[in-house]
Amino acid sequence: MARSKKSRGTPDPVSAAAVVMVLYITDSGPNSVRAVANLEAICKEHLQDNFQLEIIDVLEYPLRALADGVVVTPSLAKLSPLPVATVVGNLSDRSGVLRALGIVE
Amino acid sequence: MRPAVPSPNPNPSGTEAERGFKKAILRLVKGGAERLAIEAGQIDAIIDPGTGNAILLPAAQRALIERKAGFRSLIGLAFDWYWELDERYRFVSYRGAAGDAAGLAEDAVIGRTLWELSIDNMSESDWRTHRQQLEWRVLFRDLEIRHLDRTGGVRHLSMSGEPIFDDRNRFKGYRGITRDVTERRQAASAQEPHRFQPPILDALDAPIAVLDRAGEVLSSNQAWRVFAATHRGVGTGVAVGANYLSICDDARGAEQVDGTAIAAGIRQVIAGERALFRHDYGCESPAGWSWFALSVTATAGNGSACAVVSCEDITERKRGELLLRLEFTVARCLGDAATAAAALQSVIRVTCESQGWDCGRYFCMDQPAGVLRYAESWGVRSAAVGQFLERSRGMVFRPGAGLAGRVYQSGQPLWILDSSRGAGVSPMALAPETGENGACVFPVRADDEIIGVLAFSSGKVREPDNRMLETVHSIGSQLGRALRRLESAEALRRSEIRYRALSDLTSDWYWEQDGSFRFTRVVGCGPAGINDILGLAHWDLPNVAPPDGGWADHQSHLAARWSFCDFEFAIILPDGRRAYYSICGEPMYDEAHAFIGYYGTGVDITTRKRAETALRESESRWRALAGPQA
Repeated sequence: MARSKKSRGTPDPVSAAAVVMVLYITDSGPNSVRAVANLEAICKEHLQDNFQLEIIDVLEYPLRALADGVVVTPSLAKLSPLPVATVVGNLSDRSGVLRALGIVE
Repeated sequence: MRPAVPSPNPNPSGTEAERGFKKAILRLVKGGAERLAIEAGQIDAIIDPGTGNAILLPAAQRALIERKAGFRSLIGLAFDWYWELDERYRFVSYRGAAGDAAGLAEDAVIGRTLWELSIDNMSESDWRTHRQQLEWRVLFRDLEIRHLDRTGGVRHLSMSGEPIFDDRNRFKGYRGITRDVTERRQAASAQEPHRFQPPILDALDAPIAVLDRAGEVLSSNQAWRVFAATHRGVGTGVAVGANYLSICDDARGAEQVDGTAIAAGIRQVIAGERALFRHDYGCESPAGWSWFALSVTATAGNGSACAVVSCEDITERKRGELLLRLEFTVARCLGDAATAAAALQSVIRVTCESQGWDCGRYFCMDQPAGVLRYAESWGVRSAAVGQFLERSRGMVFRPGAGLAGRVYQSGQPLWILDSSRGAGVSPMALAPETGENGACVFPVRADDEIIGVLAFSSGKVREPDNRMLETVHSIGSQLGRALRRLESAEALRRSEIRYRALSDLTSDWYWEQDGSFRFTRVVGCGPAGINDILGLAHWDLPNVAPPDGGWADHQSHLAARWSFCDFEFAIILPDGRRAYYSICGEPMYDEAHAFIGYYGTGVDITTRKRAETALRESESRWRALAGPQA
């Protein structure tokens, strides 16, 4: 499974302010499902449509995870804006995720 | 590439083995954050850095297995067998969750087409239709087949399939599912005997009869029994136990055509060649001639009932259509008629033919005399009708006298259903007007004025409904307007004839000129010696002698668009003598009041002019001879 979520109504989805993320999951593993739900909630609350999210299922694309240096799933990699940050686990640590995404509450 | 998923851990979480597994995988992870997440149970899988394969942790494994099992269970609910056909429609796969004993055995179907199997409910026609579907590569749903299973029981299977194409869009075959619908079919069959129970049928308003394969009436409802007892026509008296098909086949006379058509339709429905057959037919009923829409519907199921016959009374709709058609026909007849007599004849005829009436007469209002006079009539070819119409010639009614006079006075249509009742008049008194039949009399109007009365006579005259009243009003108005128009046209034609006769008496020719005063039309004998004057103005005519004072005065009259009278000019004939003419003209204007030329008449005045000249010369000679004494 490789899914992408992009901001709507913006000509260039990867604008300077947009947050670009990749979430690595394992099919419908319980922590993966929870990570997707937690991240969806955070994006909806703090980023509205100003983000681009790619979801990679490592069972379908194992080499992609290996190439990106992902060791465990679920893992969230924030690629932009710099600095790059990674959060592992089911993203239930909300403050840790916000910190990694550079969002100040 | 999908990594190999390790077999599920048979032990529940928290066991010694699981803890050992966790220790083993922790050795693969170097980062502190990852280790903490694993310890916290927030990780589903670890990526083996050597191979890239995902190693599922026990909880994730269990979740995936449960999901797969749930999906299989759902699939199992949706169908019983899954199958695939190759491009020649032969089974290459036939697998299912249910026991093969109930369905088609896999070894019995592989390599064979569906129509090569022992299926007993499909005719060759059904298979042709199915093969056509496959050839068209269309999706098919719920193809129901019936066969005997291994235990000898009847099984009903429902098949649905869709075509398969490869990545180059080449047809590879079909794949689909089969469901065992035997229980549902059996339940429906169990209900079959109750479907056409009399209490259920009696609850329906429409007359209904249920037929078996031979056409015998198995049951009917109360409405059917009333219908069969009171109506004359196809199906009269058909009760339970009678053979409806035989009755239709045996129909004779006027009913034979309907009987043959209905019997053929019922046979087609029973044979499964069509699901529904409809036929409209007319018959006598207590309320007069009525129309019915007969429907024959095929019945599904294993019971003896094969077709349901129902009748719907469509008399009102049919009559409406008939009257609408009559109004259109009347309008067309009036448009085609050249004379008032022709219009009256055609309107009376089409009305009689449409309503099945015997004859009609038109009484015209003679305004100066203040009476209605017989004017025109039409009737069917019969001695009685001929005598009745002959007696009508010369009939005159004062307003208020007789049926025609009463209609003229009241302005309302009048119906006599038969001459034995109605209108408060004895049959003998009405006989001269109705021919001892019923009558329909209504006014003919033009510009809100009654100009005549139409009187139809027939034994088939019925009580009018609102639609019929609208129609007679429409016919009366259309005819009245047409008669006025035709009378005006006739008066105009007679006036024109008189004018032409007068014009011929007072002039020798009629002429027209265009806006440049060039002749465009000459009727009659024009100026002598001039064979073709079209396209020429007066002053351009060959050998024309200018009038005294030249053309300037006449041309100024024309330029001013004035009428002129007795303008005289002469033409010099080949023998040197002169021919004299006098013309009168009027300017012509088009609808936009723009000048378009002149028209007028011309008279040859040569004889008069020569006589005047001779007289003047004679007078001169006489004066010369008389000398100064004269």
